[in-house]
Formats: sequence, C-alpha cells, structure tokens
Amino acid sequence: MSSSLEQIVMSTRSLSSTGDFKELTALLPKHIEILTRNHQHLDNVLETLDLGHHSIGMLAVMYVKMNLFANSNNSTLEQFKLLLPQLQEFIHCCNKEQVLFAWETFADLCHLITNQLIDFGIPITGIKLMMKAIRKLQTRDTHLTAVHADLCKLCLASKCLKPALKYLEKDISQIDTGEDAKQFLLYFYYGGMIYTALKKYEKALYCFEVCTMTPAQAISHIMVEAYKKFMLVSPILIGKVQFLPNYTCNLVKRHVKRLCAPYVELSNVYCTNNCDEMKRIIRKYEESLIRDKNLGLANQVLNSLYKKNIQRLTNTFLTLSLTDVAARVKLSNIAEAEKYILNMIEDAEIFAVINQTDGMVVFLDDPEKYNSPRMLAKLEKEMEECVELGKKVLQMEEEVITAPTYIRKVCGGNEQEEQALANSPAQNATTTQVQGKQNTYTM
Amino acid sequence: MLQFIQQNMVEPMQVDAPPEDNDNTEEDPFIVENPTLDLEVYANSYTGLARLFRLIYIADHCPSLRIEALKMAINYVMATYNVSMYTTLHKKLAQAVSAPVLPDVAVQSTSQDIPTIDQAWVDSRSKKAAMKLEKFDTDLKNYKSNSIKESIRRGHDDLGDHYLDCGDLVNALRCYSRARDYCTSGKHVVNMCWNVLKVSIYIQNWTHVLSYVTKAQNTPDFPDIQGKENNMGIITKLKVAAGLAELATRKYKAAAKLFLQASLDHCDFPEILSPGNVALYGGLCALATFDRFELQKQVIFSGSFKLFLELEPQLRDIIFKFYESKYASCLKLLDEIKDNILLDMYIAPHVNMLYTQIRNRALIQYFSPYLSADMRRMATAFNRTVPALEDELMQLILEGQIQARIDSHNKILYAKDVDQRSTTFEKSILLGKEYRQRTRMLILRAAMLKHNVQVKCPTVNSNLNSDMSIGSGSSSHSLPRN
Repeated sequence: MSSSLEQIVMSTRSLSSTGDFKELTALLPKHIEILTRNHQHLDNVLETLDLGHHSIGMLAVMYVKMNLFANSNNSTLEQFKLLLPQLQEFIHCCNKEQVLFAWETFADLCHLITNQLIDFGIPITGIKLMMKAIRKLQTRDTHLTAVHADLCKLCLASKCLKPALKYLEKDISQIDTGEDAKQFLLYFYYGGMIYTALKKYEKALYCFEVCTMTPAQAISHIMVEAYKKFMLVSPILIGKVQFLPNYTCNLVKRHVKRLCAPYVELSNVYCTNNCDEMKRIIRKYEESLIRDKNLGLANQVLNSLYKKNIQRLTNTFLTLSLTDVAARVKLSNIAEAEKYILNMIEDAEIFAVINQTDGMVVFLDDPEKYNSPRMLAKLEKEMEECVELGKKVLQMEEEVITAPTYIRKVCGGNEQEEQALANSPAQNATTTQVQGKQNTYTM
Repeated sequence: MLQFIQQNMVEPMQVDAPPEDNDNTEEDPFIVENPTLDLEVYANSYTGLARLFRLIYIADHCPSLRIEALKMAINYVMATYNVSMYTTLHKKLAQAVSAPVLPDVAVQSTSQDIPTIDQAWVDSRSKKAAMKLEKFDTDLKNYKSNSIKESIRRGHDDLGDHYLDCGDLVNALRCYSRARDYCTSGKHVVNMCWNVLKVSIYIQNWTHVLSYVTKAQNTPDFPDIQGKENNMGIITKLKVAAGLAELATRKYKAAAKLFLQASLDHCDFPEILSPGNVALYGGLCALATFDRFELQKQVIFSGSFKLFLELEPQLRDIIFKFYESKYASCLKLLDEIKDNILLDMYIAPHVNMLYTQIRNRALIQYFSPYLSADMRRMATAFNRTVPALEDELMQLILEGQIQARIDSHNKILYAKDVDQRSTTFEKSILLGKEYRQRTRMLILRAAMLKHNVQVKCPTVNSNLNSDMSIGSGSSSHSLPRN
C-alpha cells in the first residue's frame, strides 16, 4: 500500500475520531482522486476502516469502486453480483450522521448503482436498497432527497410501482437534491409517470405540473418531456388542456409550446371533440409519439374523447337509441357503443340504463343527492384536509414573519444588502442563505 | 392587380376563422344560379372602384349574369385610367365567351355584341395617365420647394386621386397617408382619414380601417367641424366604415350597432356602399345577434333605421316576422333573398354564419316559454326534418344556449330542471379539491424557492440570449414508459 493511501487512512481515522466530519468531507474529492489512481489496493483500504466509525472514508472507497466498475467496458453481471452485497452492507450499516455530511457523494453512489441495476436488467433488487438509502439521507419524512428519483426510476423500470407511492404521497417541505435541479425534476417526472401508469391522473397531472413550473433559466429536456405528458394527461382528466399556472417562468411559457408542436395540435383537436380528426392526428404524428414513447397515452386520450362525447350526450338527451349513440360519437358499430356505455356505467362516469329490447339508452341524472351519511363523512374528511392545509400555510407564514432576516428587512435594516437583493434576483452568486431569505418575501 | 385584391379579400377571413366552422366560411367559388337582381339598377347605386369590384364579384359568382356584368364593368372602366383593370376584364370576358357554360338562349344572343379589346384606347390612356402622373409629380415638387403646407397636402391628395383612378391602390394609399403631415386643420385630418379609409376598404385591410376611424374620431375639434349638417355625414361615413370592418372580422354585434347609428339623409358615399347595403348589413347582423328586447328597441322602434329598412322591404318583413315569432315565414323569406345577398361582396362570406345564428336565435326564442315541446311540431315550424332539428338542438344544448334535454325516443324536448342543492354540493366539492391542490402546490413551491431549486444553464452567463439551450439531464429518455 502506497504512502498516499496510508495517509488517507490516517486522516480518515483521526478526523473521524475527533468528529471533524466537515473537514473530512472537504477532503473527499482529493481522497477519491487518489483512491482512483490506486484502485488495485481498494480492498486493503477497506479492511483498515470500520463501517460504523469511518462511514465517510468507506463512502469514498465504495464510490471509487462503483465508479470504476461503471466505467469499465467489460463489466459483467457476475462481477456486479459480487460487488452488490458489499454496497448493500455499506448502505444498510453506514452511520447516518456521518453520511449526511457527504450526502452528495452518497447520492452519486446511489445514482451509479441505480444505473447499473437497470443496465443489467435487475432493477427490482435495488428498490429495498434505495428505500434504505433514502432513510439514511432523510431528516424527516417530508424531506426530498436526491435518491428519491432513483427509487422512482427503479420502480418504473421494474414495473413494481407500489413502493414509490409511499414517498410520492408526502407533501414535501424540505428539498436537498443537489446543485442543479435534475434530480428534483426527475423525481416529479418519474412520479408523474408512476401515477399515470396507475391511472391516478390527478396526481400525475400535479407531478407534471410541478416539473414544468420549476423556476428555470434554461429549458430542461425533462421539463419538455413532462409538458408533453402534461398535455396528454390533462385532457384525460379534465377534458381540456389545463393552463400552466401564471408563476411558471416566462422562458418556459414562451418556448415550451414550440418544442412540442404535435402535442399542441393534438390537444387543439381534442377540444373540437372530433374523434375521427383525433385519430387522424394520432396517425399523423405516430412516429414522433412512438419516439417519445407516448403513443399508448395518446391512444388513451382518444379513448377518453369517446367517453367525453358519450358524456356530452347524457347532458343533451334523455333517451337515445344505441345506433344514434354510435353514429353521434362516431363509433364503428352498436356493439362498441354498448361496450363503452357499459364500462362507463360501471365506473359511475355516466348514469344510464340500456334497454336491449328496443335498443334504447335511457340517461338518468346523477343519483347522488348529497344526503347520505357516507357523503357527509366524505365531506367532513375533505374539509378537515382543507383546514389542515390552511393551518400549515399559516404556520409557514408565521415562520416567515418571525424569521430574523425578515424582521430586519421590514424594519429597513441593512440597506446595502437590500440593494444587492433587489438588483440580483436571479444571479447564482448570491448564497443559498440569501436566496432563501429573498424568496420568503416573494411568497 | 385584380388577383392581389382577391387574395386580400380572402385573407382576413382565413386568419380569423375558427377551425370548427370552416364549412360556413368557405371561400371556394360558390355559384349563384337564380338571382333576381336588376344589374343595371344595382350597378348604378355605386361609383368608382366599388362598382367595378361589385360587378367583378357578381361575374365571378353568377354565371348567368357574368357576361352582362363584365360588359358593364368594361363600359365603366373606359371612363377611368384603370388600364390594367381594362385588360383583365377583357381577358375574363374572353374566357366567359369562349366557354359558354350555360346553354342559355339569352346569354348567347347577347354574346353577339361582345366588345373587343381596344388597343388604341389602352395606349392612349396609358400615355395620358403617365402624363398626368408626371404633371402631378412636378406640381408636388414645386409645392414642396415652396413649402406651402396646404398646397403640398393638396398635391398629395391629387396624386392619390390619380393613382386611385388608375387602380394603383398601394400607391394611392401611400399618397393619401403622406398628406397627413401637412394637415393644418381638423377638417383636413378627417378628410385625410376618409381618403385612407376608402382605399383601405378597397384593399380590405380592416385593422387599418378601424384604426383610421378612431383616428378621425379622435381629431381634436371633431364634433364641430364643418357645421352640424356636414358633421352628421362624416359621422355616418365613419360609423359605416367601422361597421364594415367589424362585419368583415366577424364581430357581428358591434357591426350591427355601428350600422344602426347611420343616418339615411347623410348616407351618401356610393364609392363605398349604397344605403340599401347599410340596411341589409345592419338588419342581418342585428337579427343574428340582438335579443328580443334589443331588436324591438334599437331596430324596430328606431326612427332613423326605419328609413333604411324602407329601402329593403323584404328585409323589413323578415325582421317583423321574426319579432312576431312567425319563424317559418321569416326563415322562408330569408331563403328567398339569400341568392341576392350572396352576390354582395362584403356580406357573402358571412351569410351562412349569420343565417345559422338567426336560426339558433329563433329556436331559442321558440322554446323559451315551454316546459316540454313536441319536436315534430317544432320541425314543421322551422321547415326542418326531425333528425336535423335534433342535431341543431343538441348543438345549442351543448353550447348552453338552451337549458333542455331531448327525449329522442318520443321526440320531445324537455326543459331541464336544475337541482340547485346538488349543483351547489358538486361545485363546493370541486372547489375544495382545487383548493387543496393549489395549496399543496403553494407549499411545495415555497420549499422549492427556499432551497433554491432552479434549472440552471449549463454555460454560465450566456443564458440571457440562448433561449433554446437545454438544461441538465437527458437521461430521462432511457426509461421504459408505461
């Protein structure tokens, strides 16, 4: 073992024992560089370190190992399977407090693992691991970490979506996803996809909306893709394309439509309620839809248009023959119309009765009279939720108005600082702390 | 030049056309078979380019009047310097004669005395026009060197008049607009605006028309220019020009209101419209967009517009029939005059649209007092088959114009009773949902801003101009989608 490696071990040990993890984290990039150069001795270094006490040092070694493995061209599944238990042990047993100091490297390690798992086609084995990793990085359960996106990605890749839901349902109050917004965007993009797959369109729409309304100085590909899906999910859910909220950054508002022209056309056609035209448009843009892997979703949009048209019929007719239904909704035959109506009755999307003897459909009104105990319970629950949210907002406001920085600002404290704030709202030069403070004013 | 004008005629409509009702606004050559139009009288109510354009429009859309219209146009154009129009008209005439689409005896008999193109006239006219142009040009230069504002203004106006006479609309517009800088009084400004308006109407640049109408109305001493009597004339002119522009941009209600403000005694501008046109445009637009009360107050009881309606007795009957709820005869009369209206260049593109709106209005009014109505009887009242009526009603219900539902089995239309309690519940549940969603978003956004989540430009400091630069990450493409 070369002297430089010995030095690493030494400094790791001494700094860990004195508890100076900040210093150790600052040394991390240098350590990783040296370790990468001496990669043949990595296991030796590992032996000299104790997992519980020297987690940051271990993290450096693990990261180097994983990085080398990911970058080598002839890595095999067998090799990976040998490496995996080591990684699992590390993630399971590492010291949470220590790892938190070097969370960025830790998250990078997780990204590497995730990508390898997907490349080798065994994403499902990583789900538990990532859940553990998230727990290591989380300070509370509404804390969004950089590893969340990895979990979602693995869930999507393995088509095992349930584990991610637990995290997606949380209202996020703290965000640590790294320097750029990539992990943040990815989390909501994948989250939206997971919800779409589960046909929970409302939440999916929410996720995609978050993705597109993220403050931006440049348009990310992820945002564009999210907006494409947004434009497909939105008609399915509410029958038209929802407008982007007006706090969406102007850059996005201006350019995003141009970047997904086929989708804009698709949604325009949707608004005309013309199924044949819709079919034509989907066929016309089939290629780009397949390229974006959105064809299935687009077909669902078409399906929802049929449903929407049937729903429109219920608003205009009391009775209508099945033949007329088929003709007006432009379905090919009576059987198909009947199938649609049956499905919709089952899903309580319309209220109707089919009379098979004379082929008439009788549309009824919504039987819900809002006078059942069940409805009362539902209403109460929803009101409670609203009150809960309202309280939360109040609490946040209180936090803001009692914050020292805010008080200083209101009382006209440091004028120079104020000037700096007013002049450089978007400059990266301002520190996180300053930025955070400034944003509280805009709320 | 003619083609240029026709293209322009189409363009403003196409831009505004909402995609769903393109069947109403088709500019493709429709053909009118049986007009009951007296071409002679019709043509004599216009002068200048208006007469030529109208005759050409008729020639384009009505085969049975084509040759006669073209001949009249040629006769008329001989009195002007519009040489290019003359040649195009002859070309059209030659086409019409060589391809006799109608085996009509009358047409063939008249085709004996087809005027032939008079090259000598063309040459002499071109020469004369050029000379005149030169004269006006040198005059203007002289005025300019003497820098007498009034003369320069007149010089520009003369030049504009001459260009207009030659049919060069673009240059005419330019000259008239240039006169603007030399206007010394409100009267001149209004005069300049009217000149520009005229040409803009010929070119069918409607936004231009509207802006110049406002310009004229905003002239500082507009109300007391040229005395009261003359003033009414100008107001009528401006109102009608604005109405025409609103009509062309499909704002029928605004158009109707503007036309209704015209005064017959001062309605004297045959170079644009005849009083009959004002009556027709105003009446139809009002019928299509006014409710019963407005119709009564602003049209039927309007002293000034009544005089206009006397010029178009058929239209007057239609409006009265509509008001008396005799829809069947009203619609029948409307159909009768449709052929003639279709030959009017300004309203023709809107005829179908206006007619549909009038029908819808009639349907709504018919049903308004009933709780349930037999669709068979309704169909007879509207000259329609039951299925066609059903379609119309469905459209109206979907648009929310009639609160009713159709019993397609028994063919009865029922007025809808809305359960206020249920709808209130429904609405509040929806609102609660929205509130929760928005508040969640708010909380998340607060967190985002607090932690400075922001898509950053990969290249520092070049982000101001690079609008297309793509930020972080494209790994999203490597995933299977569901």
